[in-house]
This record gives sequence, structure tokens and C-alpha cells, in this order.
Amino acid sequence: MGLDFTALDFFQLAMLEVVLAGALAGVVGVLVVLRERAFFTMSLTHATFPGAVAAAILGVSIPLGAAIAAVALIGVAVGIGRIRSQGPAVASGVMLTAGFALGAFLQSVTPLAIDVESFLVGQVLAVTGSDIALTALVLTAALAVWALAGRHLIFSSVDEAGYRRAGLAPWLPETLALAVIAGTVVAIMPVVGAILGVALIVAPAAAARLLVRDWRWMLVLAPAIGVASGVLGLWASRWLDVAAGGAIALVAAAAYGLAWLVGSLRARPAGAARVASAEQRDPAAHATIEKRHP
Amino acid sequence: MSEQRDAVVEIQGGAFGYGGAPVLTGVTFAVQPGEAVALIGPNGAGKSTLLAGILGLAQHRAERFRVPTGKGEIGTLSQSSAIDAAFPVTLEQVVAMGRTPRLGLRWPGSGDRAVVADALAAVGLTEHRRTRFGDLSGGQRQRGLLARALASEPRLLLLDEPFNGLDQPSRDALIETIRTLKARGVALLITTHDLELARAVCDRTLLVNQRQIAFDDTDCVLTLEQVEAAFASHVMEIDGHTLATTEHHAAEFPEHRHPFGDDQLGEPAGERDEAR
Repeated sequence: MGLDFTALDFFQLAMLEVVLAGALAGVVGVLVVLRERAFFTMSLTHATFPGAVAAAILGVSIPLGAAIAAVALIGVAVGIGRIRSQGPAVASGVMLTAGFALGAFLQSVTPLAIDVESFLVGQVLAVTGSDIALTALVLTAALAVWALAGRHLIFSSVDEAGYRRAGLAPWLPETLALAVIAGTVVAIMPVVGAILGVALIVAPAAAARLLVRDWRWMLVLAPAIGVASGVLGLWASRWLDVAAGGAIALVAAAAYGLAWLVGSLRARPAGAARVASAEQRDPAAHATIEKRHP
Repeated sequence: MSEQRDAVVEIQGGAFGYGGAPVLTGVTFAVQPGEAVALIGPNGAGKSTLLAGILGLAQHRAERFRVPTGKGEIGTLSQSSAIDAAFPVTLEQVVAMGRTPRLGLRWPGSGDRAVVADALAAVGLTEHRRTRFGDLSGGQRQRGLLARALASEPRLLLLDEPFNGLDQPSRDALIETIRTLKARGVALLITTHDLELARAVCDRTLLVNQRQIAFDDTDCVLTLEQVEAAFASHVMEIDGHTLATTEHHAAEFPEHRHPFGDDQLGEPAGERDEAR
């Protein structure tokens, strides 16, 4: 009985973490999707990996190591991005592979046995109280950023040139966005690890993007999908006895597939109606098509 | 009455550029409250550089340089919408973005919402306020972006080729809006290739081609000699509808097309479109 209780408490702890992480990933994912920073986030998740390995070797806080690596590699990426002939995609690509290689290198040279897999795909069942506190803290910060600077984030995402002409500095919302994304990548590492983190961040927001016509609804829908992915994935991992991180990422990806299906089914009748009304307005258009294809 | 008020823009002996040799020199003009000034010149004449200079996005040197500097005091409308049509944002939200410089991190109050509603009404798009921006027609989007510029309650409006690609109803609506704004005391600086339009709404005209050629009442500036001087030596029908010679000019003087690659207002891309 006592053992059962301990097991349940353990699972409840993991459940709390996936709910917080799902909400955080959804809220910040909206920023990633609307600012088209998915590939950047992908490379950032990989860049945190060597920091986590180094922290494990040095015996210091893993999230701290991951955060330092993230900031350092953002600096490298900004530097590469400034080289005229290289675009930001090149910078992100270099950051992604270099980060991953550095982590693998560190792990291979250390005599210590490091559980690399938990950094790569997460280990939510081993989540601690401080992990949960960090996730809750970053979630609060992300919500505060949306509440205070949401207008600036959206304006500069939609029309950066217009934002600049309005006398505002686009680097401010950009820096704020990168900081929140980096914090999120670090905070959700215990749940989905470095490699799968991007799935939980991007997929729920991208799914929401397919279903709404007003970005504010994305801020409702994306965290909901993120939380559902976390909860369903965690349950699946328990009942089917599979790895939680992978299961959560797969559910998030499936949610995107479902949203795409719903979106295209919804668009089809509307699209057909548009074509029909266009033909009503201009019967000649129809005649021309018939002439071309007798 | 308007003569007694201070000019919104006052520039004397101004030169504008992006670090190297100035793109436009010898600029001396003023825009009074409630006055519209047309800014006319061929492609690469430095029109967009002048607008960027007024916004502080290009460098300037001048004996006297007075422009509004407060947050939201200058509204702008660029040639074409940079807004991704698929972005999930409504017309009303786009217009409300115009309040951002005045709001900072503050939440919009009822006063801000009233300004946004007024701006939508001024361009005649109130009934479309909940429509996704990308679902509007090209002319409606252009008017929506004008409403965004109005939502900052500007003292000065910079309109960069606002009539490009507009259909007749949108064009008429825009002319009407410009007249209303003038009546409200807003100063306007409008770049255009359309002399008919300049005559219709602009009190004075600033004619430039890498240097200032003339600045005076529109009818005095838009004489055959002056326009010829600005647009090289092409003979054109001055009382015709548009300056059709622009495209010949662009073809014969390719160096005039986009001499400044990093123009913030995007003039080169837009002007390539005009040269079709």
C-alpha cells in the first residue's frame, strides 16, 4: 500500500510537470510559430545538450548548464548571422550540429557514466520539485511577457519594417522572444529532452495556427493542445510501457496531423463555394475553361 | 490661420543619404498643419530617402531640420503591404497596432479603442473590422494600413505612392480621406508619380531629382520646364494623366533604379513594379 502511494505520488509529480510544461510550450510555441523561429528553436534545443552534459560532469545544476550553453550559442548564431553571405538558417544549422557534436564529444571523453538519454529524450518520471518550480517560474514569466509586450511581439512579427517606421526598435521584442524561447527549451528538458523539445513547442502552436483566424485564440488553443499532449503521452507511457518523452512528442505530432486534417476538411467546402460564386459572377471564366478543355 | 501656426516640417539646406555620398541635396521646404505637399521625382530621385530621413532612418545634414519627434507623431504608409496574407490577424488588430508607439507597455483604454474605431471609420472599413487582414482586397488593405497610420494620431503623415495599384473606388475614397485629414490639421507629405492627383489634393509640390528642383504652389511647380528638368529631357504631355515617361527613364538610366540597397521604405522594389 505504501509502495503504491509512493508510485502514485511519483506519477502525480510527473503529471504536474507535463501539465506545466505543455502549457508553457504552447504559450511560447505561438511566439515561435508567428515569428517563424521553428528552425532556430530546433537548433537551440540541440545547443543546450552540451551544456547539460558539461553540468553533469562538473556536478552542477543541469538546467543552469543548459541555459549557459543556450545563451553562448545564441551569441555564436548572432555572430554567424551577421556575416553577409550567411543567412540565419546557416547560423542555426551550424549551431545545431556543433552543439550536438560537442555534447557527444564531452560525453565520450569523460570517465563518468552520464545518462545521456535523459538529456536527449527526457525522463519525466524522475522529475524533481525544483524542475517543477523552474517550469512554473518560466511559465509565469512567459505569460507576463505576453500580457505586457504581446502587442509589440505581434506588431514586430507581422510587419517589422512598419514597426521600425513607427519609431520602435525591433531588436527589443526579438531579444525578449529569444530569451523566452531559450528559457522554455531549458525548462521543458526534463520532460522531452533536448531532441524532442521542439515537437512540444512547435506542434501545438502550429496545429492551433491551422484552426484559428485570430492569433489570440492560438494562445488558448496551443497550451490546451500542449497540456493534452503531455497528459495523453504520459498516460500512454504508463499503460503501454513506452518512453514518456517519445510518447508525448508523438501525441503532439499527431495533434498537428489532426489539425491539418480538420483544417483542410473545413477549407474544402468553403473553397468550393468560392469557386462556385466566382463562376456565378463571371460566367465567361467558366466558358474559357471549357473551351480550353473541350 | 494656418500661416500663423508653426510648420510641422521645416528643412533648410538639407542633404540626405545612407553614409556615403548624399542621395538627395539642397532640400529646403516646409509643411504646414493641414497642408498636403506632393513629393515628385523620377525613380532613384531620393524621395524615399527623404522620407526615411524625416523618420530618422536615414542620415541627414541640414542648416535647419525640424520634424515631429514624439512617439506616434509621424504616421507612415508604404507602397505595398508587407503583411503576410496568411497571418492570423484581423483588420481591427492591424489598425490598433498604430497605437503601439503611444501605448508602450500600457494596456489600451476606452480612449484608445475610440481612436481605432475613428480611424476605421475614416477609411470606410468599419464593417470589415473583424475580417482577417489577408482576406481583404488590395485596396482595402491599403486603406487599412492608412487607418493604422491614423490610429497613432499623427501630426505628420508620410504617404509613399499611396495610389499605386488602387482601383477607382479605393482611389476616390483615399482622396476623400486625405481631404478630411487636411481639414483636421494633419500635415501630409505624399510621394506620387500622378500629377493629376498632386493637383487634386496637394497645395504645394516639392520636385526633386537627386537635388531639389523646385518647391512652390503645385500649379507653379508642375510646369513643362520644371518637370522636364526633374525627369531628364523627355518631352511629355504635361496635362495628360500620368508621367508615362517614367518607365522610359528607368530603362535609359538604369543607374537611377536602386542606388541605395538598404532603403528602409522599400522604394526600389516598389519602383521596379511601377516600371512594368
